[in-house]
Amino acid sequence: MLSLASVSAYLDVANSRWLWLSTLPVVLVVLLQASIFLRRAWSDGKEMGLSEAQLKSGFKTGVISAIGPAIAVLVGMLALIATVGGPVSWMRLSVIGSVAFELPAAELGVSQFGYSLGDDDISEVAYATAVWTMTLGGTGWLLFSAFGTPHMEKLRQKMGNGREKLIPVISSAAMLGAFAYFLTGEVAAGTPETGSVAAGGIVMLILLRIADERDVQWIREWALGTAMIVGLVVGVALQVTVGSWW
Amino acid sequence: MSGNDPRASTDGGTDVYRDSFVPYINTWGRRTNLLAVALSFGPAIVLLTVFDILPPTEAITSAFVAVAATYGIFWFIEPISYYPVLGIPGTYMAFLSGNISNLRLPCAAAAQESADVQTGTSEGSIISTVAIAASIGVNTTLLGVGAFALVSVFQALPELWRTALGSYLVPAVFGAIFAQFGRDYPKVAGVGFVLALAMTTLLEGGFLGFLPGYPLYVVIIVSVFGTILIARWMWQNGMIEAPEEA
Repeated sequence: MLSLASVSAYLDVANSRWLWLSTLPVVLVVLLQASIFLRRAWSDGKEMGLSEAQLKSGFKTGVISAIGPAIAVLVGMLALIATVGGPVSWMRLSVIGSVAFELPAAELGVSQFGYSLGDDDISEVAYATAVWTMTLGGTGWLLFSAFGTPHMEKLRQKMGNGREKLIPVISSAAMLGAFAYFLTGEVAAGTPETGSVAAGGIVMLILLRIADERDVQWIREWALGTAMIVGLVVGVALQVTVGSWW
Repeated sequence: MSGNDPRASTDGGTDVYRDSFVPYINTWGRRTNLLAVALSFGPAIVLLTVFDILPPTEAITSAFVAVAATYGIFWFIEPISYYPVLGIPGTYMAFLSGNISNLRLPCAAAAQESADVQTGTSEGSIISTVAIAASIGVNTTLLGVGAFALVSVFQALPELWRTALGSYLVPAVFGAIFAQFGRDYPKVAGVGFVLALAMTTLLEGGFLGFLPGYPLYVVIIVSVFGTILIARWMWQNGMIEAPEEA
């Protein structure tokens, strides 16, 4: 792709036609699985006594309900597109991923070479490390769902021996520890980054609180997207006004 | 939707569901998810073969260890926790296509409502399969078109905004996710932040130079596992407790 005065050279590779092509097969598998399951559910469902009208209504509702959240995901995708390019963003968010996993994974990849996402001069090797990290990290969910799903009922029963209350504590602590590490890196980068971190956190807290109090699902779906946009505006505002104090 | 349990169904549809539908889904679910594991390496392989970029093994390993330390527990916890709501087909599809809580679950629930079937029956599972398949079609298409369009928009932006998008969206996401988890465990959030800040300062100050390689991995491991251990200790001593809806 043509790029004049490119901000980051690696993004030319990241947005190249070859990368778009390389993401097609796996996305096609996702669609293939959906159509295999859909056909079988349709015919077996009829045999089980579900009416054509019920099946159609289920399909239509699935389509309509997906549009809002998918647009919300698209907004979140901006951060990935700006850092790892269009094709990989599309693939990662159509297969397994969520912005909350892919961004940290990419950050861990480039940080092996002392870069941080958003640096202008990220090398191609660092970018490739980010791609490998996102890919390998995502296979955990796929492998476990591929082999574990038929045994899920037994696994659940095994876990219920009093320790299951500790699981949310431990998994939240793992997330908090990791994101604390990501945060301190951003805070060390400068005042605008710090402002963006704080704005993102505060907006999230406010929106989740409103969503809980009024029990509104769409606010939850839009919370991350809104937090990103406000964080972006605050970061730019600080950059053009006070610059960085450290 | 956990329609795998034959007792949950009340009519004659159970046999078709249990003897025909579920075995078919298990076979094809495993095949397609494993195929997706292989094909998800597409971009990494293209970077290697077309662009001749292969990161050093140590960099990939070290980044992967950091990802596994943070997210490894979620590879198992998430499928097991969402399984009762997603059912067997839903588990394969949702962990292949991602965006579970914000997209797949609402779609499945809304479709069951509109098709007038009960959650937890085999009919409910058929309808959720249809709805999730429909939602996959919608979001893959929307994200694909969106990603392609957004890349062009991104490349056409003035440099200030391109840099800003690369620099300030990511910190906002980190801040927002940290706030989301910190909301339930503010004390653990404080512990994580102090640990990560201390470790990052040590790293930047060169105090970790006695360790082999680039000692980033120590910062991540101490941040993640230190926070987990302290959170566990706090939980055992009744200083924190899991929220009602974890």
